[in-house]
This record gives sequence, C-alpha cells and structure tokens, in this order.
Amino acid sequence: MSASRRRILAGVLTLTTALALSACSDVGGGTEADGDTLTMMVPLFGTAPDPQGEIHQAVEKLTGKKLSISWTPNAEYNEKVNVVLASDSIPDVMVIQDNKGPSFVQAAKAGAFWDLTDKLDKYPNLKPKSEQAWINSKTDGRNYGVYRVRPLLRSAVVLRKDWLDKLGLEPPKTTEDLYEIAKAFTERDPDGNGEKDTYGLILPKWPGTNFAASSPYNVIDVWFGTPNNVGMRDGKLVPEFDVPEFWEAQKYIKRFIDEGLVNPDWATLDTGRWNDPFVQGKGGIIIDVNVRAGELFDEFKELDRETYHEKVAMAGNLSLPDGRKFSYPFTGFNGIVAISKQRVRTEEQLDDVLRTLDRLAAKEGAILLNNGIEGRNFRVEDGYAVKINDQDPAVKVINNDVDFAFIQLGMTSSVGVAGDAYEWMRPSEAEKEWLEQRDELMNLDLQTAVHDPSLPVISQTAVERGATLNPIPTDARVKYLAGELTEEQFRAEIKRWYDSGGTQILAELQAGIAKIGG
Amino acid sequence: MATDLAPPATKPASPGDRPGRVPIRAALLRYRWLYLMLVPGLVYFALFKYLPMYGLTIAFQDFVPFLGYSGSPWVGFKHFEDLFTGPDFGRLLFNTLFLALLTAVFVFPAPIVVALLLNELRVAVLKRFVQSLIYIPHFLSWTIVFSLTYLLFAVDFGVVAGWIHGLTGGPRVDYMARPEWFRPLVILQLLWKTSGWGTIIYLAALAGVDRNLYEAARMDGAGRWRQFWHVTLPAIRPTIVVMAILTSGNLLDQSFEQIWLLTNSLNRSVADVFDTFVYYVGVQQGGYSYATAVGLFKGVAGVILIFGSNWLAKRLGQRGLF
Amino acid sequence: MRTTAKPSAVKHYSSPGSRVFDTLNVIVLGGLALITVLPLLYVLAGSFATEGEIRARPFFLWPENFVTSTYAFIFANDTLLRAMITTVVVTAVGTVLQVTLTFTMAYPLAKRYLPGRTLVLNLVIFTLVFGGGIVPTYLVVRDLGLLDSYWALILPLAINPFYLIIVKSFFQELPQALEEAARIDGCNEMGVFLKIVLPLSKPIIATFSLFYAVGIWNDYMSPLLYINDNQKWTLQVLVRQLTSPDAANAIGALDSAAFFPAQGLKFAVVVIATLPILCFYPFLQKHFAKGVLIGSVKE
Repeated sequence: MSASRRRILAGVLTLTTALALSACSDVGGGTEADGDTLTMMVPLFGTAPDPQGEIHQAVEKLTGKKLSISWTPNAEYNEKVNVVLASDSIPDVMVIQDNKGPSFVQAAKAGAFWDLTDKLDKYPNLKPKSEQAWINSKTDGRNYGVYRVRPLLRSAVVLRKDWLDKLGLEPPKTTEDLYEIAKAFTERDPDGNGEKDTYGLILPKWPGTNFAASSPYNVIDVWFGTPNNVGMRDGKLVPEFDVPEFWEAQKYIKRFIDEGLVNPDWATLDTGRWNDPFVQGKGGIIIDVNVRAGELFDEFKELDRETYHEKVAMAGNLSLPDGRKFSYPFTGFNGIVAISKQRVRTEEQLDDVLRTLDRLAAKEGAILLNNGIEGRNFRVEDGYAVKINDQDPAVKVINNDVDFAFIQLGMTSSVGVAGDAYEWMRPSEAEKEWLEQRDELMNLDLQTAVHDPSLPVISQTAVERGATLNPIPTDARVKYLAGELTEEQFRAEIKRWYDSGGTQILAELQAGIAKIGG
Repeated sequence: MATDLAPPATKPASPGDRPGRVPIRAALLRYRWLYLMLVPGLVYFALFKYLPMYGLTIAFQDFVPFLGYSGSPWVGFKHFEDLFTGPDFGRLLFNTLFLALLTAVFVFPAPIVVALLLNELRVAVLKRFVQSLIYIPHFLSWTIVFSLTYLLFAVDFGVVAGWIHGLTGGPRVDYMARPEWFRPLVILQLLWKTSGWGTIIYLAALAGVDRNLYEAARMDGAGRWRQFWHVTLPAIRPTIVVMAILTSGNLLDQSFEQIWLLTNSLNRSVADVFDTFVYYVGVQQGGYSYATAVGLFKGVAGVILIFGSNWLAKRLGQRGLF
Repeated sequence: MRTTAKPSAVKHYSSPGSRVFDTLNVIVLGGLALITVLPLLYVLAGSFATEGEIRARPFFLWPENFVTSTYAFIFANDTLLRAMITTVVVTAVGTVLQVTLTFTMAYPLAKRYLPGRTLVLNLVIFTLVFGGGIVPTYLVVRDLGLLDSYWALILPLAINPFYLIIVKSFFQELPQALEEAARIDGCNEMGVFLKIVLPLSKPIIATFSLFYAVGIWNDYMSPLLYINDNQKWTLQVLVRQLTSPDAANAIGALDSAAFFPAQGLKFAVVVIATLPILCFYPFLQKHFAKGVLIGSVKE
C-alpha cells in the first residue's frame, strides 16, 4: 500500500514538473522585443477579449503587428504593475494609470521607460493636442508616455428637470440660484406628494484622504475663487484651504447642511450609490462630472421609457452673484501609455513602436478602439454612431470587447471626448440636446478654468508624509461642516497641517513649478 | 475522558515520550515512515514559505519595485523609527488593540456558542436547515456586507436605524458617522459574516463525541446541563484552546476592506488601524518597505501572543499546541 | 471493544426548564438563520430585477418585474461557463492535493515522541505570522515555471499552516489504543495512518476538504498574479471584475470614466459564484450527521 502511495506521489511530482515546463508565456521577460509582436499590459473593466476575436484581429490588421495583450483587472492593476516592475517582466508597452505614484516615478527615473518629452513631434496623431493635458500629465517635469485623453473640463451640475419644471424654476446660473433651487426642492414639495420628504443637493462621502480630489467640495471652492489645490497668491504658493474665498465657500456649503438642504447621510453615502437618491426622487441636485447626466438618463430609462427624457437637466459651472466665474477643470488625461526601455532598446525600435501607437491614435484606430467595426456593430448617422445588430451574440462580444477593454488603449479619443471617433447616438431629443449642451459648456467653461499648477511636479515631503498630512484638512472640513469643529478649531487644524510638513510641501512644489517654468 | 487523552502511558512498540533520548541516526531509522511523511510538507514550507522570506529585508530598505531587492537602497531602521515615532502611532496602536480585544471577547466565542446551541437542537430538520444557511455570509464580499449594513443603518432609510428611532423616540442617529458606533458596527459585521462559518470546525469536533458517553452520564443520573458540562464541553475544549492560541497570532490583523469601507472623515479618529494606515501610506509613497516594517512589528507581536497564550494554556492544564 | 451507539440513544427531555430552553433555542437559531438568509434572498431577488428597480427600492425579496436578462447577459458568451469549469477542476484537484499533503504532514507532527517535531512545529507557527510578501512569492512561482499554469493556483497554497496545526491537534485527540493494536499487528506508521487514522478522521477530512475547497474557490489573488492568459481565468477573477468598484478605482472615480458595474449584474455574479460551492456543504454534512465512533474506544 505504501509503495503504491509513493508511486502516486512520484507521479504527481513528475506531472507537476511536466505541466510546469510546458506552460510559460511570461508577459515580457527580460528579453528584447521582436519586431513583429508587440506585448502590452492594459487595464480591463469586464471580461477579457479573445485574441481570435474580431476586434483584436482588426486591430492587429490595422497595426500590422501581432499583439500580445495582458488584460489586467482594473481593480488590481497597480498591484500587478508593481509585481511586473519588480520581476523584470515589463512588456513593450504598458498603460500606467498612476504616473505620479512613487513606484512609477522611481522606475522612470531609473530608466525603465522612454522619456518622450521631445520625441512625439513627428507622429501626427501622438503629438499632444492639448498643451494643458500635456503639462498635467508630466511626471516631475518629464513626459514618460503618451497621455490617454479625457475631457479637460467635465464638471457640471445635474438637476431633476421635472422638479424644476413643476416649481417653475430655471437651471442655475449662479451659486445663489443653486441655493434657491436646493431650498425649493426641499421645502416646496417638488414631487407633489404632499409630504416634505425631499432635499436639494446630494453629497457623497468622498473616498480617500486627499484634500484636492475632484470632489463636489473642491468644485464649490473653486467657484468661490480659491486656487485649485494650490495656487500663486502674491508670489507665494498657497493651498486651496487657506485663502479668504475658501471660508466664504465653507459658509456657503454649511448653509446647505445646516438648513437640511442636503441628504442626511452626506458624510457617509457611498459614491457608488450617489445616483440612487436622485433616481428614487429623494434628492434633486448632483455636482459631478457631466457624464453622470448620461448615466442618470440611462437609469431613468430603465424605470420608465415614456418619461425618462423629462427627468434630467444640466448646468455648467456656476458664477458668483457678482458675475465673476471660476470653473473647475479636470486633468485632461487618464494615465499614460509608457514604453519599456528594457524591451524596446534602440531609437529605431522606439520609432517602430511609436508608429504603431500613432496608427492606433489616428482616425481609423480611434474608431476601432471606441466604436468598433463600422457596418458590423455600428453605423454612422448624422455624425453619430448607432449600434446595430446588437442582439447578435457575436456583435455583443464586439461591443463588450470595445467598451470594457480596447477603449482603454484610446489615446486621442475616449469616453466623453470623441476626438476622431464617433459619439454614440442618444435616442431622445432631450439627450441629443444634452450632448450638444455638454460640448458647448465644456468649451465655454474652459475659458474660466482654474488649473492646478502643481500637477506636473512632485513634492518629496508629500510622498513621505502624505498619509499623515492629507487627512488633516480633509477631515477638518467635514467635521466643520457637520458642526463638530468651530471655524477657530478648523483654522487650528490647518495650522497643524502647516507645522507638520505642509509648509515644506508648498516650498517644494513652488520650487518645482518655478523650475519647469509653470 | 476519552477525547482528552494524555499521551499513551504504555507503548510496547513505541519508545518513550521524551525526544532527545535517541541518537539521530537511530531515530531516523526507527521513525523512517514518520519522517518520510514529513518530507512533502517540509519541501512545501521551504519552497513557498521560507524561500520568499528574504522579502522581509525590504523593511530595512527603501524598496523600489523596479530596482528590486538587491538594487534598492538600505536605510536601516528608518521605517521602524517612522512607525514608532510617527504622530499616528499611539492612536493606531490603541485602535488596533481595542478592536483586537473586542474581537477576542465577542467574535471568537460566537461560533462556539452557536455550535453548542446547534448541538442541543432536537429538531433534526431545523438543525440541518440552520446549519446550511448560517455559513452563507462567509461567501459574500465585504463590499456586499457594507451595502447591506448601509441598508440597515443609514440615517434616513436604514431599517434597523428606523426601528431604534421608533423604539426610543429620540433623534435619528447616523450610526455610520458617529465614532462611538464604529466599533460596534465592525463587531456586528464580523459576527454576521464569520460566526456561521466558524461553527464548522466546532461541529466537526462535536461530531466526534461518543453518544455512549451521554448514555453513561444519563445512567449516572446526569441532567441535561450536567451532560453538557461534563461531556460536550470537555469534548470540544481542546479545539477551543487550539483555535484560541492560533487566532491570537493574527489578532492584530484587521480586515482592511471592512474597515476601509466603514471609515469616513467623522469617525477616522477611531477607525484608523495599522492595516488601513499602511494602505494610505502605500497609496502615497508606494510604501512597500513601510508596510513590511509594520508587518514585521505585527508578526513579532503575533509570535509573542501565540507563545504566550500557549504557555498560559499549559499553565491552565490544557495541552496547548505542542 | 466497539459498541455501536444508535443515533436515537439521545432521549427527548421533558423537564419544563429543558422545554423552555428548547423553545428558546429554536427561536434563537431560527432568527440567526433568518438574518443570514434574508440578505442573500435580497441578492437573489435583485439578480432577477431590473436595474431601475434595484435603484428605486431599497430592499425587496421578490422583484416587481421578473427578468432574466442579467443572466442572459452573463451567459451570452462562454467566458463565465469556461471559468466555472476551470474553477471546479482546479478546486477539485487542489483540494485533494491539499488535504493529502496536510494530513500526511500533520500525522507525524502529532507524535509527541518524534525527535525534531518541536522544531518543525515552531517553523510552521512562524509562517502563521510572517511571510515574504507578494513579489518574492511571485518570483518563486515564476522561477518554477508555473506562470500561466493552473498549478500556480494550487501549489503555493498547498498547506495552510493554520489548518495543519488544527489537524495535528485532532490527531492528538484520537485514541492511541487502536493505533497500538495495529502496530502490534505489524503495520508500519504509514499503514497505521492509512488504515486506522484516516478512517477515524472522516469528519475532519470532510471539514478541511470544505475549508480548502472554499479557499481555492474564493481565491482571486493567485489567478490574478500568476495567470496572464485571460482565457485561463477562474471564476473569482471574473466575479471581482464584475463586482468591485474598489478602493483604487473609487479614488480616481471622477477622473477615470465612471465604470460602476450595474447592481443587478453584481448580484447575479454573486449568486453564480456562491451557489455551486454552497451545494458542496450538505454533501459533507452527511459525515457530520453520522458522527464517528472514535470516542467509543476506551483506553
């Protein structure tokens, strides 16, 4: 019995080794790239495309390369990037989501990726289209990749249109309008059920501890004239939370909370449930990105196909009652596409890879990555893309591969920035109007945008002590708004921030900004 | 008691109880089968547990993934100094220990109680039914548990929050935001998610109890309570002791995801524990080295707890781990 | 030596105190079952509801509009089905290997007289609290050539030190007399283990099969790290993919395109990923219900 057992064990071990040896396809390995195949690592939001799938094949045909793409779940993407960096198995081309994070910064400085700061001019489609996004996407003053475009200005106010109509109100233009609307939504029974069971503004708990994190609070601060994260005042860099305008903004927000014009769970509502009170008819205003209006249209559509187009209205950034207007911009990019120096060793090889990427960024590539295959899963109508054959299982696969995977390779066009690709058609007139209004507002508000000058630079102190420093002003604000801190106590917390390293962070950022001439 | 045996007193074929008496070569020969059985396991531990241990050295480096283990700069005890002298250390330690204590007092015994109650359940159908249901929460992720908690405790529409409001008539309490409710919520979530699953091991131990022992006890006139006290409890005591000692080693580990989801600006002062702080450090600074330093610190504490509780168990006349 | 106990040997009690206890016990455990099953029923109902309904109604046990479109969407291509088959196979093979290795190692460690045992135990306990971390383990797996092999999902987790020590302790509780008898009959230790100890340990084997199986089943980190070929992904990776707008994503929520998965999809995936392993339990319960006769062996 024991002998046979030993044989089984031996068998298991042999089998293991055999299986082990026959199975290896490292992402890249320390070896050099070969000219015909391009290895890539790209974030994935759904299920992974089959390399034999239509889109994958079409992309290969377009680029003339065989693509070996390691689709990596978005949630664990950064973790996997670190493992790949640490184990010498960097692929030729890699999407870097957090190109300001220390492990990428250090790798880039140690020469892991090509510095493309002066290299993109001869590639017509990779050449930066937005100077601002190009600056924002710098890592400590250098561009270690091609940025993936996002709308540069996407902040907006989304409101219940039916509520506005019922109360005879117009979408807001000024901060004071917004307050009046929130008050009316709370007190004048906008849903007409005879009960006082609604509120105006819906605020969620903002994840993370960073103070400047594109939250509705940040948007309102900027409306009141604060810097975006940091800004120059009298030759000195000051933070968003230490200028007089900031205190005006806080009093404005606190008025909403004290008067019950916001959701009672504003300090704890999960961002994933942000839409719920809006759809359920509990609250009527969301300050967030403009695409949220599209999401809300979709959710109302599921509830009631007949009336959904009457439910959503949108306004852009709001001006102050005295007419001054400051708009809250975004960074205009979402991570970068970086090229490995270990794998792509010579300037010639680099040129080859960049030409491939250029083809993906050109019109034909952008359409493939954002829309799919014309005549197969969509057709073009009035300059919009319209889905076709979407009940066909094979076409469903194409749609899935595009929406949850290949769009991540889009450098010049993406969600909210059609670029050379097509915007998806929306069925109702209301939605079409919304799309047009969205584009209009983006351009209009961009003229009054207050950009964050610190984006291209990195403060070493912020890196080292951020975990301790960041929550100080962030938590103090929420506690002040909740009435747990007085203004004096809030100011004392800000002083604590300065004293525990904030002063140093500002000095480092200011020096960095001066150095790149920002 | 049959289930709480001392090592065999007489062993005709086996040698004495104490090691070290037998020369190594003789021992190897005599126990060749036993040693042979150890080999696959030892290979596993060497390969997958001890070989990667060099990773702990990054606690003394400023580890940069791209530079690797040999290329990253050495910084000595910098991260330990940062940890112990950092402004957050006292608070983190207190919060971590407090939660550990609450876990030990409330969460650890819960599956034992449930298993014992199940054991006393006389309706066989109900018993099987309950058994197969209560361990379901183990399979739900913390994200789902959090959404369910929200449904129950949200200030405006939470079901439980509503009941409490209705019963007490006081003002509505935002349980998710009040610092004093943070720890109770953590413990409630843990109880809900882990108690059912935890019963399995005790039920397995209870399955091993000889029915004849109850019969014998009844012959001696023991009532239900005395049977429980003299038969059931001793039967699972060794399991309880082993579980207690083993879990003490991981007492300072909290589930990062659980805590992270429940944390907000208003309750952060009580919510921050080592595991979440390490995450924030990680987001800011890559933090591999710092995280490893914290891991080493917790590991040392864990070893002390394991061996301490093992010693204690033996002092109390239990067998312990060895 | 062996006396068989009839399950019915446990008599019903009739004292009033006992009856009160029984009633309370039924209520408590019934309540417990209810609070664990209600949320799951909600998840189940949600998986058959429209997205709009999930958003609009906080809690329900039966959807107003019963739809199966979520499942139709999930099974529109064979990805999930393939992942499920993969996971079942890996779980089955892995569990057998893990249980074999764990029990084989635990047995000698249960022998207090074995020289060197304390050292090994100490080394095992050490790994309960210390580990090298993700990257070094990844490098070991890579250097063994296990990347993209299903063995990478099994071998690095082959023995759970926590389980090992519990199994060892269970072995120590087994009556020694039967083992002695077998030894006298000429069995070597391996024979004692296979013929005497394992048959006596059925509930324990069942228990740890369950633990290990669930461990592999729920593991998403290993496939994520070690499997680059997306076609080889297991169920949990897909589940994570479809359900978590997690920490990393949420922080950049505003700045990355908003990709919050639909709630209904989340629920359906949870149902699909949980049901198969739930079916495993009653199967094992049989072993618990039967009980064993180890205690019947008197010293």
